[in-house]
Amino acid sequence: MRKQDLFRLCLQNLLRKKSRTLLTVLGVVIGGCSIVIMVSLGIGMKESQERLLSELGDLTIITVSPPQGGKGKTKLDAAALRRLQALPGVTSAMPRRALSVDSVRLIAGGAGRYRADWAPVLGVEMKELLPMGFGITRGEVAQKSGEVVLGQYTAYGFQDTLRPEGANTVDRWGAPDGEEPPPFLDPLGKTMTLEIETESGKFQLPLRVTGIAKEDYSKGSETSEGILMSLEDLEKIAQRANPGKKQDQNFDAILVKTSSISKVAEVEKSIKAMGYATESMESVRAPMEKEARQKQMMLGGLGAISLIVAAIGIANTMMMSISERTREIGIMKALGCFVRDIRLLFLAEAGVIGLAGGIVSCVVSLIAATVTNLVSLGGLSGENLKISLLGGGARVCVVPLWLLGFAILFSVLIGLGSGYYPAGKAVRIPALEAIKNE
Amino acid sequence: MGDFARAKPIIEVRNLHKEYPLGEETVVALGRINLTIRRGEICCIFGTSGSGKSTLLNLLAGLEKPTSGEVRIGGVPLSRLGEEALAAFRQRHLGFVFQSYNLLPGMTAVENVALPLMFRGIPPAVREKAAREMLRRVGLAHRLDHYPSQMSGGQQQRAGIARAFLARPDAVFADEPTGNLDSHTTVEVMEMICAFSRDFHQTIVLVSHDPEMAAYADRIVTLIDGEITSEKLTHRRDT
Repeated sequence: MRKQDLFRLCLQNLLRKKSRTLLTVLGVVIGGCSIVIMVSLGIGMKESQERLLSELGDLTIITVSPPQGGKGKTKLDAAALRRLQALPGVTSAMPRRALSVDSVRLIAGGAGRYRADWAPVLGVEMKELLPMGFGITRGEVAQKSGEVVLGQYTAYGFQDTLRPEGANTVDRWGAPDGEEPPPFLDPLGKTMTLEIETESGKFQLPLRVTGIAKEDYSKGSETSEGILMSLEDLEKIAQRANPGKKQDQNFDAILVKTSSISKVAEVEKSIKAMGYATESMESVRAPMEKEARQKQMMLGGLGAISLIVAAIGIANTMMMSISERTREIGIMKALGCFVRDIRLLFLAEAGVIGLAGGIVSCVVSLIAATVTNLVSLGGLSGENLKISLLGGGARVCVVPLWLLGFAILFSVLIGLGSGYYPAGKAVRIPALEAIKNE
Repeated sequence: MGDFARAKPIIEVRNLHKEYPLGEETVVALGRINLTIRRGEICCIFGTSGSGKSTLLNLLAGLEKPTSGEVRIGGVPLSRLGEEALAAFRQRHLGFVFQSYNLLPGMTAVENVALPLMFRGIPPAVREKAAREMLRRVGLAHRLDHYPSQMSGGQQQRAGIARAFLARPDAVFADEPTGNLDSHTTVEVMEMICAFSRDFHQTIVLVSHDPEMAAYADRIVTLIDGEITSEKLTHRRDT
């Protein structure tokens, strides 16, 4: 028989018993929906978990530090930096070194009106700042010597020397409505004075603020309340602060960025093998991901149960249909229909029920997921609809395209699977049935 | 009768034997039958119910396997064909007319008549053209797109005949084709079958318990208790 004829015959048969076909399809729809929705809940859970983690810090960054706080034999030097950069899965590596002096003071404003008595200084490679995932909220990365980037909240460290004690600072958390009050001064674009004090004396030098960093503790507290400058500048200052002393050529730490989250564990392992201590969000993320996966499996399993029920429904419908059509099958055989065509016909009927159920369940669960997301996002709007479908916000259900494809494919397979036994039964009906007279 | 004596044998039955198990005993439905039917003949198998005539028809048409013996149609031994080969053989060489018409309820007259060609994989346009032509021949030009439930018994049986002869098979088996029809329609249907047999020179095996059918047959085989008790040729076609 031609494929088109087989398919037409299959649809004809299904449409002859509309309500029965419809009910069976409904069973598949319920099964399919429960799988899609359960899995989408699981994916949504994982997505919001990852969102949470990425708010805590960049998940692809590994902080490498020398063992035993740098007092051991293994040092983080320029050679170590090159070796780290050469590791597979590493996109970039950036050394950092903190300035170790007794006191660092920032002075700004006319006649030194504003003073910050404490500001940690971190030396970094300015050109690696953005690739390494440092955020710049305003302004830009420092380009030249003498230019710096301030931490996001460094400005709150300034005291107004003209105000009385107790009212001379701005409390960032002070406003009752939760909004941050503006600091006394906006340092962006301004030139201020850095005052360094060591046992050998005090000196000052000017700094121009070109940008404000985004707070990210995984990259160092300096991004919040300190000063970021180039390693070269830092070295000059260190030399001037400790004249005559031999400079320590080792880094405090090296930040290593991997190409993706999945590479973190592997890269971290090989860095540990090199003898360094490492730190990343992986230790937090891995157990969380494991738990999410377990929950997802559990939810998917619940959905699968209803799909199994649907499969039994299909098998039942096919069995009924075959016992009703015994004579018809006999006639077809007597007229010379190939046994393989009869088998295909019944498999096709079961498969089409599965396919129809799969498609409808995709539509239904997509609508259900969208409604759930809209409700949790707080109502219908173009923006919320976009978040619900494409992401970019907190959503409860995530229905990726592959899930829909999987649901349809799975439903068809369920249909074919549950049609297999009935089709085998149909094939065994003898042509003799056609001759029998009621 | 001269024609038939020289015509080639189309159906050859040798020592055909069929037993059924019934409880602990076996019932002999057919005992060692020999029979030859020639091309173009209308052969009528007579017998009361239980005489084994239906069993004989089933064996002739390959719907059942014999216990022993052999049926050859056009030289092909049916009992040695596998299921798919048998289906292919039926598609090309056999036609059926059933007592209860056996049109598929979900299909129109045209689709039903075209069914044997559909099983053969003939495209719809070709097979339905042929089916319409056959339906016109049996006088159902006005019923082409009707469903079986919208047709009378006589009309359904005429569609059944159109279906049986559509592919110009070597042999058409008719099992009590008029069993469900009134006497007027019976004559109509039988004359139609005879007309096809004559026009296409086609062999027909007719099973009936109705002695009136004898009037249409060239060869009359009478079965009693699974044995052929008489076999005679009429001279119907010579006139």
